[in-house]
Amino acid sequence: MSAREGWITFAATLAAFLMLSAIFFLLLGKPPLEMGLSLVEFAFGDAYSLSETLAKASPILFCALAVAVPGRLGLISVGAEGQLYIGAITGTALVLGFPELPPLAMIPLMLAAAALGGAAWGLVPGLLRARLDINETIVTLILNYCAVLFASALVFGPWRDPANQGWPATAPFPPAAVPPAVDGKVHLGLLIGVLLALALHVFFTRGRAAVHIRILAGNRKVGRTFGLDFAFWVTALMATGGAIAGIGGIIEVAAIQGRLQPSISLGYGLTGFLVSWLARHRPLVILPIALLVGGLLAGSDALQLFAKVPAASATILEGLLFATALAVPGLIARWRRSDGN
Amino acid sequence: METDLWILLAGWLVATLRSATPLLFVTLGETLTQRTGVINLGVEGEMLAGACFGFAVAVTTGSPWLGLAAGALAGGTLSLLHAGLVLGARANQIGSGIAVWMIALGTTSYVGRGFVGQKVTPLPQLVGPGAGDGLLGVLFRQLTAPAPLAFLAVVLAAWWLANTRAGLAWRVAGESARVAAENGLRPTWIRLQAIVLGGLLSGLGGAVLSVDYTQTWAQEITKGRGLIAVGLVIVARWRPILVLPVCLMFGLAEVAVLRVQAAGVEASSYLIATAPYAAVLIVLVVGHRSARRSRTMPADLRSIFS
Repeated sequence: MSAREGWITFAATLAAFLMLSAIFFLLLGKPPLEMGLSLVEFAFGDAYSLSETLAKASPILFCALAVAVPGRLGLISVGAEGQLYIGAITGTALVLGFPELPPLAMIPLMLAAAALGGAAWGLVPGLLRARLDINETIVTLILNYCAVLFASALVFGPWRDPANQGWPATAPFPPAAVPPAVDGKVHLGLLIGVLLALALHVFFTRGRAAVHIRILAGNRKVGRTFGLDFAFWVTALMATGGAIAGIGGIIEVAAIQGRLQPSISLGYGLTGFLVSWLARHRPLVILPIALLVGGLLAGSDALQLFAKVPAASATILEGLLFATALAVPGLIARWRRSDGN
Repeated sequence: METDLWILLAGWLVATLRSATPLLFVTLGETLTQRTGVINLGVEGEMLAGACFGFAVAVTTGSPWLGLAAGALAGGTLSLLHAGLVLGARANQIGSGIAVWMIALGTTSYVGRGFVGQKVTPLPQLVGPGAGDGLLGVLFRQLTAPAPLAFLAVVLAAWWLANTRAGLAWRVAGESARVAAENGLRPTWIRLQAIVLGGLLSGLGGAVLSVDYTQTWAQEITKGRGLIAVGLVIVARWRPILVLPVCLMFGLAEVAVLRVQAAGVEASSYLIATAPYAAVLIVLVVGHRSARRSRTMPADLRSIFS
């Protein structure tokens, strides 16, 4: 696709999405233009809104990168949600096990533990795909449900802090485990996410590995004739994606919630999937899209409060955005074909 | 003593049948869709829509039958979106399914808010209390119409796919849309029918779940059952008749979970609740290699699965 076609697709997708959103607000009985403008204002209007948006963008960014990494090989992983939960669990395990660690050791070790947990959770579908050729999409989806249940089992069970008087949550994290933040919700995790995106961009565009992955993604048989190991890259990239989502999970717990609770993610896994798909698994494109979608979530949170828009609006709008992004390129191609004949 | 054992077993059997019934409809629908060469992960959303709208209609009208019909319609309507994206815009099938799922997640959580905690009139039992306390009495007193209906649907679909001209056309479309078109069939039309039939069955399955099985509505009530159905289609090797044992196995796992939780075993109920998902993963691992080599895997699906 040429750059010009890319922009046409982008503009048409945006226009179609705005139209669908307007219809959606009309169905709710709300003035669409006013709702749209307030949404943007609540997302990016002032310092407070922007910090809420950035707080939402952080887990989305990690989840999107977690989808993008295997996505570069043509794999469709929908497992970021589960990997995020497992990372949150293993990271929390370290914090609860060694609460006395000094800050300089605590945060790196906590992130490492979360990365290992997430990687292990990504490794399962990776190995099943690499060794037995079992479809990774279905396995990652089913594993998500298990991961969420594991977190509940721990938080309602052995990890519940008795001081909470029945409220299911672990003890609060010690200050050493809370990532430093400027202005409340803009925390170290966001910086880590951006650096990861930059590193992944370099990894996937320069060097020999980038070429190997691109060949294998294009045609596995050609890759094999070059002696490239598909199974190795499936395993490695699925585990790496899992590690990234796992880091995102523990950061969400440590920086935003301060303790492990049964519900860590507000559908960030699926949102991240959408973001990575819209960005075509390109890390540098994921950055702005994660910010915009973070704004959509934060803005509709505020709209829910001030304009009585239903809480589910963000999910519906995300779904509409996804459907539009899927429909528009195909419709343009179809229109061109019929035009050419 | 011996009859007690039989009655205990009958209790398990009934519970398994009831638990497997919603999944039977969904898995059958997805099997038929996939036989024409289209995968639809959106069945999770279609099932959710069926559960939500079916429950809502059953509560408002007081008729569980109308609820089931409305659920099927909701699922069928939503499946048109998948059909439009996949057939009309040639969008990626996995992506489209997830978009459908997202829209259903949001819409049902909004529409369903007012129905949390509401009660439905239950479907009548298959036989009245006069049936006695014998084995069959125990069996049929606890069953409602959807279970035998699901069995009938599976058998009918298996026969139809194998023995009719239309069934053959569906199978040809799944093997190769190109070959189908060369032989005067209209593969896109066939796939549209298959996606909508899958949607109707998934919606019905969802409605059976909320109106008949749990008799409640809760947000995300399906808990991945639609996604599990997509996995079970592989285990059943795309053969409608094998949908029966595969779904019954899942039903048994779910009943075992409920019984163990109820027995107050010293283990987290959340941990035990992972068992059905684990069971599906295990059968996927055990069955996948042979499934992949199976001759019933529609050839046009291979491009999506690999």
